Amino acid sequence: MKINKLLSLLLLATILFASCEKDSVDLPKGDYENGVLISGEGSGAGTGSISFVSDDFVTSENLIYKTVNNEELGTFLQSMTFDNDNAYIVVDNQNTVTVADRYTFEKLGSINTGLILPRFIAVVGNKGYVTNWGSTSSDTDDFIAVVNLETYEVESTISVGNGPERIIENNGKLYVSHKGAYTTNNVISVIDIDSEEVIEITVKDNPDELFFNNLGELVVLSSGRTIYDTDWSVIGTTLASISMIDITSLEITNELVFAEGEQPSLMVFENGAIYYNIGNSVYVINESATSLSSTSIVETEGFLYGLEVEGDNLYTLDASFSDSSKLNIYSISSGSVSITKDVAIGASKIYFN
Amino acid sequence: MGRPITRRKPGDLPVFLTIKTFGIKVNVNMKRLILFAIFFIVTNSILSQNDSIKNILDEVIVVADKRIAKNSKGYKITTLNDSILLKNTESFTSLLRFNSPIYLKEYGAGGTSTASFRGTSASNTAVVWNGININSINNGQTGFNSLTVSLFDQISIRSGGGSIEYGSGAIGGTIHLNDELKYQPKKTISNQFIASLGSFDTFNALHKFKMYADNFSLKIGFSYNQSQNDYKLLGTDYKNFNGAYKNLNINVSLGHRFSTLSQIKFYSTSYAAERFFSGELPNPTSANEKYKDYNNRNLLVYTYDDKKISHELKFGFLTQEYQYFEDKNSTEFNFGKSKRYITNYSFSYQLQELKAVVTSYSEYESIFGKTDQILEKNRRQFSQSILYNQNLANAVFFDAKIRKDFNSDYKVPLSFALGIKSKKINNLFVRANASKNYRVPTYNDLYWPGQGNTDLIPEIALQGEFGVVFKNNILSIDMSVFYINAENKIVWTPNGDPERPGIWTPINLTNTENKGIEVALNFKENFKNHFVDFNLTYGYTEAKNKETQTYLIFVPKHLLNNNLSYRYKKYGFFYEQLFTGKTFTTESNSKDFIVPSFYVANIGSYYKIYNYKEKQISIGFRVNNIFNELYVTQPRRPMPNRNFKLNINYKF
Repeated sequence: MKINKLLSLLLLATILFASCEKDSVDLPKGDYENGVLISGEGSGAGTGSISFVSDDFVTSENLIYKTVNNEELGTFLQSMTFDNDNAYIVVDNQNTVTVADRYTFEKLGSINTGLILPRFIAVVGNKGYVTNWGSTSSDTDDFIAVVNLETYEVESTISVGNGPERIIENNGKLYVSHKGAYTTNNVISVIDIDSEEVIEITVKDNPDELFFNNLGELVVLSSGRTIYDTDWSVIGTTLASISMIDITSLEITNELVFAEGEQPSLMVFENGAIYYNIGNSVYVINESATSLSSTSIVETEGFLYGLEVEGDNLYTLDASFSDSSKLNIYSISSGSVSITKDVAIGASKIYFN
Repeated sequence: MGRPITRRKPGDLPVFLTIKTFGIKVNVNMKRLILFAIFFIVTNSILSQNDSIKNILDEVIVVADKRIAKNSKGYKITTLNDSILLKNTESFTSLLRFNSPIYLKEYGAGGTSTASFRGTSASNTAVVWNGININSINNGQTGFNSLTVSLFDQISIRSGGGSIEYGSGAIGGTIHLNDELKYQPKKTISNQFIASLGSFDTFNALHKFKMYADNFSLKIGFSYNQSQNDYKLLGTDYKNFNGAYKNLNINVSLGHRFSTLSQIKFYSTSYAAERFFSGELPNPTSANEKYKDYNNRNLLVYTYDDKKISHELKFGFLTQEYQYFEDKNSTEFNFGKSKRYITNYSFSYQLQELKAVVTSYSEYESIFGKTDQILEKNRRQFSQSILYNQNLANAVFFDAKIRKDFNSDYKVPLSFALGIKSKKINNLFVRANASKNYRVPTYNDLYWPGQGNTDLIPEIALQGEFGVVFKNNILSIDMSVFYINAENKIVWTPNGDPERPGIWTPINLTNTENKGIEVALNFKENFKNHFVDFNLTYGYTEAKNKETQTYLIFVPKHLLNNNLSYRYKKYGFFYEQLFTGKTFTTESNSKDFIVPSFYVANIGSYYKIYNYKEKQISIGFRVNNIFNELYVTQPRRPMPNRNFKLNINYKF
């Protein structure tokens, strides 16, 4: 009897000890933790998908969502947003936001009613705010869908101007760039989450990327618009700019205007510096710069469709829509490629997980 | 508001182009057509009363296009007669899939569907209506779910280049939709009515009326199809969403012969359809598109044909229109329209001492095409071709053809073709053909707003084929090898214009090489009221990009179909099956992106309730996909699960 008791006690102790050990060590949260995620839009050649490249660049894996869940995400995968342990994957033609664990990529659910051509999502508390282009035939029905992230249902909508694209939250307000969907637009919407009041700020044509800099200013990249004649020949472009906006006065405090014909499409913010492109050339300026740069830091290869920066590494996506795309990582100091990986079809965005 | 022409969703565009661009409109006044028909009948009955030419006794079958039968030496032609066409009334796509060596790519059952021969592209397949190439001027293709074919008397499928007779694009092969008219001494009137009901609220009905007389022939047909097409998407909880379709087709053919030498024929067809484009997984309910299309085709042919000399004059007028609603609930749509005027004169002269015939074809065509985004363009083309065919000592028969086009938009290369066939010895003969074909850029390729490329040059393909044929009364086997070398293939790519990366533009990009083997077997035997008919088609295709040596996308290496039918007195039975090999969908042939191989089979039977010469009634039953196989021809679009069809066929 005694021995039995003793053994039981020992067993219990072992279990406790083992569990203690488990708790004390930082176990990996999933296969896709420490690495870079790349989302690809997909095309007729294959589904929109997510690729993973480990932090040390040793391992890489494509179609991770499909591998884990045995289903495809469809086309066109526009964007991904993270919040705590979740990834929110927005696929526009599927009118779907799929929710997955950001580290294991196991599907947790999806929002597939109430969205019409969704583009980006911002998560605030237990609510998701999804920009939607609405019907392609109308440029007055565009909206922000307010999603309850516990039920995965669209609870209400906020009507906004044509072609809402990126959306970020700051201090109870949502900031939305209006790239203009199928046509064009030139505003940033500022939406008060509580009152749902919408105020528009006019910027240069086709605003897309936006973020807050260290000075608390909203920085917006407007790509400019291409002008066609009635026969659809290109007859010119409107001016592009990087605009800094004071969010209290809603005034543009600093506007860096590009030369005529230059159409930047990508912009990232890293460590007080703004990186942007014109075609395949990547430039960098300080966040408080008063003029644009005249010398590029890196000349990229192929079709530059995605950009990120971390330390000395410039991550670029050379997108292909008929095949896998390429992730080329450049060393900013040397200007040359150090790592290349095959990634998703139509690769467009890079996320550090 | 306009289409996106920025690089918003680059992946979207080529699919969009494929989806968008076939269409047709009934803008000829139907009333006028009927009046014309009535006029003809009345005129005819008057004429026939005083007609002095009563010496015509033989039954004669006439077609609008004699070239397919006359000038195809050395080519393989698969013929589907009306009994096969009427067995499969609802889908041209599935008819071809089970009965021809053609690969069909379908965006879900009833959705956009394109066809390709021997690993060539969809725009290399020409669909020919009574001798006229009817591929869309906008995208150079025919949508195989935008046509109903059950009213035609015969479909011929000719593998191998046919640009000489049937114009641009016929690099892979041609599919001929033919109406037959008949003159016979005894006047007869016959009717046929077929109706069927099937799963997914599918309903088809067609009626054919035929009147044949000594020197007059009339054929009128109506067909109507509709379906909810909401089949279960196997392996999911969804149904095929937004896949409904309906279409109406009217065909009229008239012939009148003035004498044994001269006759006039008129063919007209009108088609109107409304379809919805179904959604794909993972969320099929996001589908919201609608597509309407209308087409009208008219052809008037006058023929004078004596033994030595023949003349033929043709006038054609064809219109097409499509309307594409990205949002089915909206009244806004994108459209494309085209009008074509064709005049064709051919003259042939028989060199009796040489056992040869020389034929000249001259054709002038004027095409007006526009879309909501492309202002109306007019393309004019004059083409001249010379054909020479000869019988050499009853041992070798050959056709030599050459064609030159003069096009208002660009230079078109000289094309030529040679077909040769040996005399049958011990039921065996050999055949061979070689040709140079081309495909001119389409309106979309050239003029798509902000993206078209007016510097494109035509694709050119050189090809050759050699076959051995065994044929006796019960068995025929055709085995052939083919080779196609295509250059400057037009490809849409986001890197097409180095000045504007990210903008999808078409360029003359790839050179490809296709080679393979085709086998066609037919076995027919009749013993003591037991009638067996067995057909088998097998194609092995290796189609590669010459630079990268990778396989072309959406080309299966193996394609096999066969069907067996058995008849005993009043009973009939058939079984048909299809195997399609896997296809790659990316240029690098990534194993991550493939359409897997699939096998699917259908079964059916019928019973003749009445079987007299004057009156026949039969009822039939059909099960499609009897093994309930989950298969796709496009990723994320499961094809229909097992489904049923009941039909009645009444001839009187």
